[in-house]
Amino acid sequence: MNCSAPNRPSQLRERRTLFAAGLMLVMLSSLSGCQKSSEYPSRPITLVCPWAVGGGTDRVSRQMAVFLESELDTPVNVVNATGGQGVTGHSRGIRAKPDGYTISMMTLELSMLHWRNLTDLTWEDAAPLMSLNEDPAALFVKADSEFQTVKDLEAAIKDRPGELKASGTAALAAWHLALAGWLISLDQNPTDVIWMPSQGSAPSLQELMTGDLDLVCCSLPEAKSLLVSGDIRCLGVMADNRQASDDFKAYPTLKEQGSNWTLTGWRGLGIAKGTPPEIQTKLVTVLKRIVSGEARVNGESWTEFMDKQGFDHTSRPTTEFADFLKRNDEMFGVILNRPEFQSVQSGPVGPNVFPAIAGGMFGLSLITVLVGAGRRHAASTAETTSSETIAETASPRAALLSECVVASVVFHMLAADVLGFVTTSAIILFLTSKLLGARVLTSAGVAIVASIGIYELFSGLLRVPLPIGIFW
Amino acid sequence: MSDAFLTALENTLTLKVLLVILVSASYGLFVGAIPGLTATMAVALMVPFTFFLDPVSGLAAIVTMEACCIFAGDIPTTLMRIPGTPSSAAYVDDAYSLTQQGRHQQALGVSLVYSVVGGLVGALVLIFLAPQLARIAFEFSSYEYFWLCVLGLSCAAVVSRGSIAKGLIALSIGLLLSCVGLGSTHSVPRLTFGIDELITGINFIPAMIGLFGLAEVLRNFSKVISDSASADEAAKAGTSTATGIWLSRALGEVFGGIGERLKRSKSRIASSSVIGSAIGMLPGAGADIAAWVSYAVSKRRATPEEKGQYGKGSLDGIADATTANNASLAGAWIPALVLGIPGDSVTAIVIGVLLMKNIQPGPGIFTDPVQLPLVYGIYITFILANLLLIPLGFLAIRSGSLIIRIPRQIILPLILMFCIVGAFAINGSYFDVGVMLVMGLLGVVLERFEVPAGPVVLGIILGGRLEEAFVQSLTKSDSLTAFFGRPIAAGLGVLCIVLWVAPLVSWLRRPSPGTQSAPRLDR
Repeated sequence: MNCSAPNRPSQLRERRTLFAAGLMLVMLSSLSGCQKSSEYPSRPITLVCPWAVGGGTDRVSRQMAVFLESELDTPVNVVNATGGQGVTGHSRGIRAKPDGYTISMMTLELSMLHWRNLTDLTWEDAAPLMSLNEDPAALFVKADSEFQTVKDLEAAIKDRPGELKASGTAALAAWHLALAGWLISLDQNPTDVIWMPSQGSAPSLQELMTGDLDLVCCSLPEAKSLLVSGDIRCLGVMADNRQASDDFKAYPTLKEQGSNWTLTGWRGLGIAKGTPPEIQTKLVTVLKRIVSGEARVNGESWTEFMDKQGFDHTSRPTTEFADFLKRNDEMFGVILNRPEFQSVQSGPVGPNVFPAIAGGMFGLSLITVLVGAGRRHAASTAETTSSETIAETASPRAALLSECVVASVVFHMLAADVLGFVTTSAIILFLTSKLLGARVLTSAGVAIVASIGIYELFSGLLRVPLPIGIFW
Repeated sequence: MSDAFLTALENTLTLKVLLVILVSASYGLFVGAIPGLTATMAVALMVPFTFFLDPVSGLAAIVTMEACCIFAGDIPTTLMRIPGTPSSAAYVDDAYSLTQQGRHQQALGVSLVYSVVGGLVGALVLIFLAPQLARIAFEFSSYEYFWLCVLGLSCAAVVSRGSIAKGLIALSIGLLLSCVGLGSTHSVPRLTFGIDELITGINFIPAMIGLFGLAEVLRNFSKVISDSASADEAAKAGTSTATGIWLSRALGEVFGGIGERLKRSKSRIASSSVIGSAIGMLPGAGADIAAWVSYAVSKRRATPEEKGQYGKGSLDGIADATTANNASLAGAWIPALVLGIPGDSVTAIVIGVLLMKNIQPGPGIFTDPVQLPLVYGIYITFILANLLLIPLGFLAIRSGSLIIRIPRQIILPLILMFCIVGAFAINGSYFDVGVMLVMGLLGVVLERFEVPAGPVVLGIILGGRLEEAFVQSLTKSDSLTAFFGRPIAAGLGVLCIVLWVAPLVSWLRRPSPGTQSAPRLDR
């Protein structure tokens, strides 16, 4: 379609057309992007979920997105910003631009991460909107366990401290602290039950079933299937009162059994502090309609959805939520400031063991390869047309071209938030295809069609929130 | 039983459900073929819609989408060297080599047919053995998982292209990368070098796009002068003359010789599907490990001259690995349906959808007269979806193959763009784009020294799980003998040791280092 002649004489003139075309592109895309109105919301909203696709928080987030979308009449896209035991997602959501277009799904980890010095983010950095759900932690044992009641378990812990093994989350994460807090309330040392770190409740429950664990601490909905099938037994729920739902009302609270300890996993929505008050008010009004069950999507209300999923749907509006957050935060401060949690919890294998093994393996295999290569090289210097000498990158132009790829990616990372996704992509597409020898018109055509096409594909159809920037 | 089955047939074979299956199959193919978007993502995007579908249609949609998505991942793997899913990373070198030889349609044809076969066998395992097999998950504690991870990683290192030492280099890079950030095993962040973002860790999807896709773009950009035309010509030669009887010619290009191949490979299919189903039904182990193990087994049983093909365009390798990764899909539904424990992230979403429809997964699901037809409905959809995959996959292969004909001045910038967006899409973060870039450069370096990139990806994926299983096991018992304390653990452990000792022995007995490798020119 195009005869590519790499060494054209008039490179200077070419560069000028290049710039001109680039400028035109910028103007073109800025024109097409100038349809922003002032009424909130005028463009898609991002809901940041700090946990992975498929989990409980993700399910709640995605359903909330559906309701918000129908109430606000604008697309609401869920982004799973996972990792760092919740640090990543909470920071992304709460520290977003305070323009009302990034809403944060917050979970109880927000109250604990800063006490562990993992982040300096606290609940006070967020403007709380509405809490959505409170599921208490509970203690579970296998159906054939010797422990029939919490009293049996308490006695065993007192008799044989440091022997029972439990799991439910990563070390020092929510359900570990739930168990630790309960032990403290019994005047026991939090380390009297060994915590085996795991990815979450599902693998922990599975380990419980293999018989390697004595106890799992997680929330009721997480354990529902095995509870219903009779494979595990719930010894006590860490709540003030029994659960209202039919599924869980049979299970006694710890309070009924003489302990005062309660711990509730909560989820709620917040937004960056400094978001204009009228936007916050609008969101709270809408959320009130949703959590009260008034708003319906396809004939189903929020409360019906939460019930069916086995989630509690206690909600607290702004100030009450803020109050709750404050108390929650103080409680975790008390637990995490205890001396047992001050030193790094290392367990039998410290955090450096595994990287050291991997590093050692890397070093050893590298030496093996180098020694092997050296000997081979010495043995046959002349005959081997060794493949290590593939000289594809010899010419300066070739090197320039691959640097250009690197530069394009870096440019996209830096410029997309400012210029907008479409504009940035168009510039990169135009320049790279031009450099590879396409004609100006072809390059421009590809740049415009493809950048808009990719934007529509990902943003419209696949609901990935691509940056919009000043232009588009 | 038969009553429930008839009800299920009645419920499933309605115009509405069939339409839902058709739509979600197309959607699954489409999403799966886009680099960076996973089957999990496709299903999660679909979930809000399933809420207002009836349970049969909703589940049918998910089943169909998942099956189609995993196959569709092979399309960018083959055509652009961007693995659509981590399980495609096992055979990306083979598939892409075939594309460079102009045999991409044949490669995708094999991948399609064997995906369907694997999917069907996996479905049969689910149908006939689910209740019996599910409890095996309870035999798998951290010791067994530890060995399973070691097995998957060993397979990647031992079978990958190049020497074992180079495979090990790649593997240890992957394992080191998996340590970055704040994982679930330790309560302190590691290897973050003071960069706050690194606390997140390295996501394997941008890493995979970088190591394969961007590395290839970089290589092609620098190669553009020397042979810009030749590769295009090679690709065109195979495809462009089709004007006569289009369909039969097209069918020939995609499916040529496949019947013969299927006949020859009955025992391979059997072993690959068994590997796939067995690994798939273990919670937390899925298509990725299955594909690597199956690929390793496949290479092991190959004749010496076939062995040389592995990594350079072996259709047998592709066939066995795709069979296993599709068989593992149905496997993941076994613990999800029977125990309510998700076998992978897709079935985690499925459990949510089931609960939404007032269905409580668990043993009860097989005895409840209301819910049993639904379970049969899932079975029927698995079969239907896989059968439907043949024509739809064929169309996808044909239209995807057009990519090869686009001149490289246009397609290379587009692939670059897809690398960027694909890396961005998974977490909506430009940090991941940066990860992709660094991994792309690493990929170029690795390629320069002929170090395979596949084990790096698997190292990133399994590193965390391996360490977790290791730490958990040592938390439970201080003695190392516990790693061999149970029959399954001991069996897997011995298997891993044999896997490592065998090549070591043959390496030690090798006469002289000079003859070790003939000059190996990839292209």
